[in-house]
Amino acid sequence: MRASTGRSDDEAQSELTDDAAAQLAAVSGVITHPATARSGRRRRRRLLGLVAPLVLLAGWQMAWSLDWRPKTILPSPHQVLSAADAFFFGHNSVTLSGIVPYKGAAWLHISASLERCITTWVLAVVVGLVLGLGLGLSRWVADVLEPMTNALRAVPLFAWLPLAAVQFGIGEPPARTLIFIGALWPVVVATTDSVARVPRAYVETARMLGTPRARLWRRVYLPSALPEIITGLRLSLTLAWTCVIVGELLGVTRGIGAMMIAAREAGATEQIIVGVILFALIGYAGDRLLRMLARPLVRWSDA
Amino acid sequence: MTGSRAGEGPGLLVARGLQKSFGDVTVFDALDLQVAAGQTLALLGPSGCGKSTLLRVLAGFEPFDAGTVTLDGRPVEGPSPERGMVAQAGTLFPWLTVRENVGFGPRDRGTHDVDRMVADLLAMTGLADFADALPRHLSGGMRQRASLAQVLANQPPVLLLDEPFGALDAQTRLRMHGWVRGVLAERPTSTVLVTHDVDEALLLGDRLGLLSPRPCRVVSERELPFGADRGRDTLSEPDFVSLKATVLDEVMTA
Repeated sequence: MRASTGRSDDEAQSELTDDAAAQLAAVSGVITHPATARSGRRRRRRLLGLVAPLVLLAGWQMAWSLDWRPKTILPSPHQVLSAADAFFFGHNSVTLSGIVPYKGAAWLHISASLERCITTWVLAVVVGLVLGLGLGLSRWVADVLEPMTNALRAVPLFAWLPLAAVQFGIGEPPARTLIFIGALWPVVVATTDSVARVPRAYVETARMLGTPRARLWRRVYLPSALPEIITGLRLSLTLAWTCVIVGELLGVTRGIGAMMIAAREAGATEQIIVGVILFALIGYAGDRLLRMLARPLVRWSDA
Repeated sequence: MTGSRAGEGPGLLVARGLQKSFGDVTVFDALDLQVAAGQTLALLGPSGCGKSTLLRVLAGFEPFDAGTVTLDGRPVEGPSPERGMVAQAGTLFPWLTVRENVGFGPRDRGTHDVDRMVADLLAMTGLADFADALPRHLSGGMRQRASLAQVLANQPPVLLLDEPFGALDAQTRLRMHGWVRGVLAERPTSTVLVTHDVDEALLLGDRLGLLSPRPCRVVSERELPFGADRGRDTLSEPDFVSLKATVLDEVMTA
């Protein structure tokens, strides 16, 4: 052993370089070999995901070919495909309001449904976050509002439908009311629960570091609860999208749901199936998009 | 060297007649404790004696039933950036980068020139290359250094350390001791270090206090005779070895 003078500094320094060497790779993610293996595995998993839809499609085609169902009730995949083709690329000749067009009207209906869903969902998210933060952070707000919100939450979503129709008639207002109510509760519940479960240590640390009480919700509660809140937002968006079709039962003339109702009345089954597929694809894409947009915000909590 | 650093500037932390119980369990009755400005008081005690509760009381996280805690004559009420605390789990917010974590306190207190101060602290802690990394990408030792940097960014007159290196392996802990001594020499800070590691207490303390089992009290206190240049080699010096034996005896019989 050498003289003890000055050892401590050297030692601190040497740990830094050790750590640096070991950790820099992890941070910058320069591990090449597993990455290629991972992309191969991902491709295989994607392909596996196509198996079930293809089996379903084959079964459908077989059911049609073998006349398991009358051809007026069950159209062939090909008929659905041409209906979709006309829906997207046909020439729209319907100009009368009050009549629901199909030909070349895809974007008209899709944009109406999307606009209805997204604007109402955003409103529900804002209200839900405020309500959830209040319920989760303030004893007083919880005491006043929680019994009522819990009771209202227990009302089955579509039980609001008759009331909304009586209050607002038909058309946009009851449709949006239903979407709003459907989208609201998942946000409220996720925010309330996750904010109430933020570890006390985070709050204590922030207070110890000098964060004023009034800023805690923004500096600690919200970011700490964000991963769970985002799960709530995803559920909320899915529910909002579900409510779009029901809302569009109530006498609107633009929207995928409205198009499907009109198609049912006209006996155009292939058009109804086009609507179902659109709902599925858009709903799936919306969830993926939301997850993708949220990922940078919650990267810290990835397992 | 003890005397040269102690007693200057702010940071006189005094607890008098402290009482606290959780239900039927008396954690302390009549606990007295004093840390002179810039001094490091190391407290050794058996597990479960109330060491952590004591630090939480000093930090202002935990209310107490009777007695007084004052910093430079003013009573301690609630947590404050004047009393920085680092415990075994660290203080980092997992959703913020190292840089954002270290600047957290100054930013919320509206301090000027936060960026430069943070850069200085990151350099001092050897974390400059990891400024934009998330805490989960750091090793245990780096996390604790970042935690200390985060707390020191407020330039607190008092530092409370609750087994801050307890979760680290032996070598890392030894390196951290050297590093902490350097930091405290550079910025004299009244420090209470609670630990059950005798080496740690002897290496970092200016004074050493032994805590009794519940109810917790400081039963003996002594100056530590080792110089400012304590390091790994100190561990094998005869003075150190014999004092360690004495202290261990006292701890075991306490």
